Amino acid sequence: MRSFPFFGAVVIVAATAWSAVMPTRAEDPLRIPVLVPITGFLSLEGTSQKNGAELALVGSKVAFSVEDTATSPEIAINAFERAADAGGVVAVVAPMLGTQMLALVPLADEFELPLVTVSGTAKITDLGSPNVFRFFPGDVVVKEAQARYAVEELGAKRPAIVYQTTAYGQSGRAELQDNLLALDAPPVFEEGLDVSVKDLLPVLTKVRDSGADALLLHLHSGPTALAVRQAKALGLDMPIIAGSAMHQPETAALLAPAELGGVCAETGSSPVSETSEEVRTFVDAYRRAFDREPDAFALGQYDGTKMVLAAIAAGARTPADVRTYLQTARHDGLAMTYMSDGTGNMAHSAVIICYDGEDRVPDIVKRYGNLTGVL
Amino acid sequence: MIRAVRSSSFAIPAAVVAVLAVYALGFASSYDQRLLTLAGVYLILVLGYQFIFGHAGALSLAQGSFFGVGAYTTGILATAWNPGFVVTFPLSILCASLIAGLVAIPVLRLQTHYFALATLALSQLLLLVAVNWEGLTGGANGLAGVPPIEVLGWTASRGLPLLAVVWAIAGTAMLVARWQMGPDRTASFTVAREAPIAAPAFGMDTQMMRFRAFLLSAAFGGAAGALFVHTNRVVSPETLGFGVMVTCLTMTVVGGRYTVLGALIGALLLTHLPEWLRDLDRYYLVALGVLLLVMVVFAPNGLAAFVSRSPSRTAPNSLATAHPADLVRGDVRLVATALSKTYGGIRALDGVSLDLQPGEIVGIIGPNGAGKTTLANVLTGTARAESGTVLVAGIDVTKRNPHEIARLGIARTFQTPQLPSGLSVEDIVETARRHAAVPQPPETNALLSFCGLASIVPIAADTLPHGTRRMVEICRAVAARPGILILDEPAAGLTPKEQLDLGTLCRSLATAGMGILLIDHNIDFLRPITDRLVCMDAGRIVADGPPGETLEDPRVREAYFGLDIQ
Amino acid sequence: MLIAQLLLNALALGAAYALVAIGFVLVLNATTAVNFAHGESVVAGGFAAVALALFLPDGIALPGLILLPGVLALSAILGLAIGALAYLPIRDRPPVSVFVTTIAVGIIIANGLNATFGAAPRTAPPLVGTGGFELAGAVLSRQSLAIIATAVALLGGLAFLLQRTQLGRRFRACSQDPEMARALGIRVTRMTLAGFMIGTALAGAAGLLLAHQFFVTPADGAILILKAYIAVVIGGWGSLRGAAAGALLIALFEVGVAALASQPVAEGALYVAVLLILLFRPQGLFGETQQVRA
Repeated sequence: MRSFPFFGAVVIVAATAWSAVMPTRAEDPLRIPVLVPITGFLSLEGTSQKNGAELALVGSKVAFSVEDTATSPEIAINAFERAADAGGVVAVVAPMLGTQMLALVPLADEFELPLVTVSGTAKITDLGSPNVFRFFPGDVVVKEAQARYAVEELGAKRPAIVYQTTAYGQSGRAELQDNLLALDAPPVFEEGLDVSVKDLLPVLTKVRDSGADALLLHLHSGPTALAVRQAKALGLDMPIIAGSAMHQPETAALLAPAELGGVCAETGSSPVSETSEEVRTFVDAYRRAFDREPDAFALGQYDGTKMVLAAIAAGARTPADVRTYLQTARHDGLAMTYMSDGTGNMAHSAVIICYDGEDRVPDIVKRYGNLTGVL
Repeated sequence: MIRAVRSSSFAIPAAVVAVLAVYALGFASSYDQRLLTLAGVYLILVLGYQFIFGHAGALSLAQGSFFGVGAYTTGILATAWNPGFVVTFPLSILCASLIAGLVAIPVLRLQTHYFALATLALSQLLLLVAVNWEGLTGGANGLAGVPPIEVLGWTASRGLPLLAVVWAIAGTAMLVARWQMGPDRTASFTVAREAPIAAPAFGMDTQMMRFRAFLLSAAFGGAAGALFVHTNRVVSPETLGFGVMVTCLTMTVVGGRYTVLGALIGALLLTHLPEWLRDLDRYYLVALGVLLLVMVVFAPNGLAAFVSRSPSRTAPNSLATAHPADLVRGDVRLVATALSKTYGGIRALDGVSLDLQPGEIVGIIGPNGAGKTTLANVLTGTARAESGTVLVAGIDVTKRNPHEIARLGIARTFQTPQLPSGLSVEDIVETARRHAAVPQPPETNALLSFCGLASIVPIAADTLPHGTRRMVEICRAVAARPGILILDEPAAGLTPKEQLDLGTLCRSLATAGMGILLIDHNIDFLRPITDRLVCMDAGRIVADGPPGETLEDPRVREAYFGLDIQ
Repeated sequence: MLIAQLLLNALALGAAYALVAIGFVLVLNATTAVNFAHGESVVAGGFAAVALALFLPDGIALPGLILLPGVLALSAILGLAIGALAYLPIRDRPPVSVFVTTIAVGIIIANGLNATFGAAPRTAPPLVGTGGFELAGAVLSRQSLAIIATAVALLGGLAFLLQRTQLGRRFRACSQDPEMARALGIRVTRMTLAGFMIGTALAGAAGLLLAHQFFVTPADGAILILKAYIAVVIGGWGSLRGAAAGALLIALFEVGVAALASQPVAEGALYVAVLLILLFRPQGLFGETQQVRA
């Protein structure tokens, strides 16, 4: 009788201990874990990240594993520690989600592992960490492009901002505001939206009534498409310049080409719009591998991962080697040329794309190269 | 002492913790240590949730919010001023408890899903504040750069030191939980949860119990949230999100709702399970769902129920029998004057006056819907009269709560016996005895013997036949040593022999000075034992006198039999 | 005229939410258990529509309506599976166990859809076609009108089923008193499963109705169950009418208050209103149909 509870206790503990035996610590090759959100509300973007990294890594001598970071800092840290445990890690592909990055940065400093990400959240490169490397133009860059295109090219004087009340949205809205003020076109209307919000007619009517002359969106994929559709249905008579979600083929797929007509957006790149040989090859390989259309996040993560591989090809064998390379080298990627500004911002260019109403492939209408002056 | 909860149950959690300590020190990698640290944090959260969700049986959906409030308190203070762990940790607990205390006033009186929704609305409001008050909370990004735990100049850095601090606090939490929910209080909560209407009727202040449980759950939640922030070094709105609540609920149900061991199993297992499944790639959460489903289907009362089982008990060999005089609080008179009460436009009571003397047995008859049970409810405070007064031993109790009235010396039973499931007959009577708040309550076993229940002392009450259940309920009512006993349809469903025994019991209690009110339909049962028979109809008393007179009264015949025939 | 447009949108949203909430109540009444997989059932209905739409020829008229029977049938099968796997094995156990088994089913559905369909938002075909027509200056959306009409038709069908058919009478008997129903020879288990099937079918239909205009992603379930839960509690636990009223109230907040103030304010105001309703009417707006007897 008495042994039974103890037996039970032993079973529980043994089960817990099992996880200790799990990781096999052979003499590893160099390793780049891919930590991205492939479940939860950011899994669309996270999957692009994963695919981009995977496409770069497959066929290289570097080993990699994909770990889900879901939606919380907690799980991102779990994934990081598990990955870091494996040994041979020289760099980590880190999640897009700003809150997760904020949690991972101190940990990366402690483990001295460089993080290669496409997260746009401005704050992650303001922390003074030597280990953050962002291969997507940060909000500082793309929001300048978005604001300048609206004001300088479309002549907006009284723009309206509709943003998401997520880490992504709040960070981008702050940058938009600063840029618009600097351009002497202060926003006349601003509203934050929860990701779950359904009907956007209320906010769009308020945009119309505010006397705005341009609508700047900074929303995730679904809400962006919904805003564009409902704005057309409402007959909202002003140009729409959306955030980078609008460049994603998945977002465009939600709308009829006619609904897309005239809508523009900022993004780091637009792989499906590019005509250069190298990018076409990337797009074809991506389609073959994943049966999907690539977006800028995939391309940015591809470029970033390729740069880490370039570091290894140049003789880097430790995280410190890779970090030094990323900090100092210049890398000609498919989307743009990358080089650190000293805080880990690698991407300094953005493009504006517009849809012509005929199909769902946007045209690149304006390139803002080297906005930060680093290159 | 109640033996319902195994007294040695702490040995198993202690053994688990000991083995975990060896594992953490000797074998665990930094990743394993991190998972154990998280498990410790969730253990505290779940231990807290057991108070309100397990013991009090209230589906609170605010536990995740208390966690989040604790997290933000620590996060905001630590990033803004860094006053140190010794300041932020107690303040996190305090803030969570304070919010719980404030919302408890309007929210705790709500029942079942209305309570659940109110707590859910509260948690959604807090989340909304955290996301949109960017100046204070950092908005959706949250606040980064939370310092590690630092006590007296020593820093609990990531890995073993942090693990040690978290588990030291988790260990303390287990001891506090154990101390707060000893066997006696566990039994009281079982009664309050399983028989919520009856519990106040023998002096249990169930509102106060719920309040305590809610505060405790918030304090534990706040503590867990504070530690969570130190383990992740950031605070973000996810800590206030519904995901934390779902995790907590799942851990509690999978492990077990009432025991420390259950919390330990739930927290350890569900922190590790998704991590073990990670290799299944994009299907790992599907696998997690399947495993959860299987575990709950096979162990609906929690996995802890498999590990520890309550010891079996035997009936005592012989018991001394209580003397009726020891079971009666002397000289309590019940006087009700002009009581009225309406339910949805129907006058359930319409100016009812009644006087019950010590030692008197009064029967109340009347057709269905005459207001008999409403009268019993109003006399005992279960329902409140709109007008009229009730005096118990000269004290006006019209506006008092049921448990206060019960403590003045009124005990009652219910039309359907209100017995908690899962407790033995002995535990049920013992619990009532403890809440009686009278000097010299009768010995439980002697009382059971007096009621003829000696042979079924260790048996779970919910497995007994109907007649015996009734007798257990009467026995429980007498355990408070009342001066007045109100029995609502006690003879219904009893065999003639059981009715006879019940009559004898009533008579002997009355002889010892107890006033007894018997509500019943069974004239044959009432006639020989009552001193007076009152007939009610449509909320009014139509006759009041010796049994023979009342039964002959034409108004009674019309009210009672007239209706029945039609 | 703007008010007419906003009102129409609110009604359409409310009608879809009402289907969700009423489906939730049907399961509730059949089992006295809360089905937390109900939000994911809506999402599954949306994805069923997305998948079935692949088989539709291009340019067909009334694409969404043609899909409706298929979505209803697939959802009913899903409901049967939920009832059989997550409820029947533990129906005599504490109801809180059912919370967790249905949460588990929700996790399975959401992540199964994520793994098979991917995380991208998808859109289902419109019920009767896109666009709108002008009426006295307001542009009335075809889809909104069609959502309202479809929801009303489905709920009318449900009312007929419950009030006028043998199945409905048996179902109601089981909801009110399963013991007595069993004594009368009604197969209670079948009726319970029927509750799951009908309730989940309504959820699936709502998924189809919502998935055109508002898209559908695998992660949408949580917010939908939240709305259903709020609607059902403020309407009065177990009341079908109450659930519909609660759903309309939520939609009015989402559209009306958001138009007057802002979306975060609308969300906050809804929760404050919920707390006030519970404070002054602790049994919900329409009272409770499942009474606890002393």
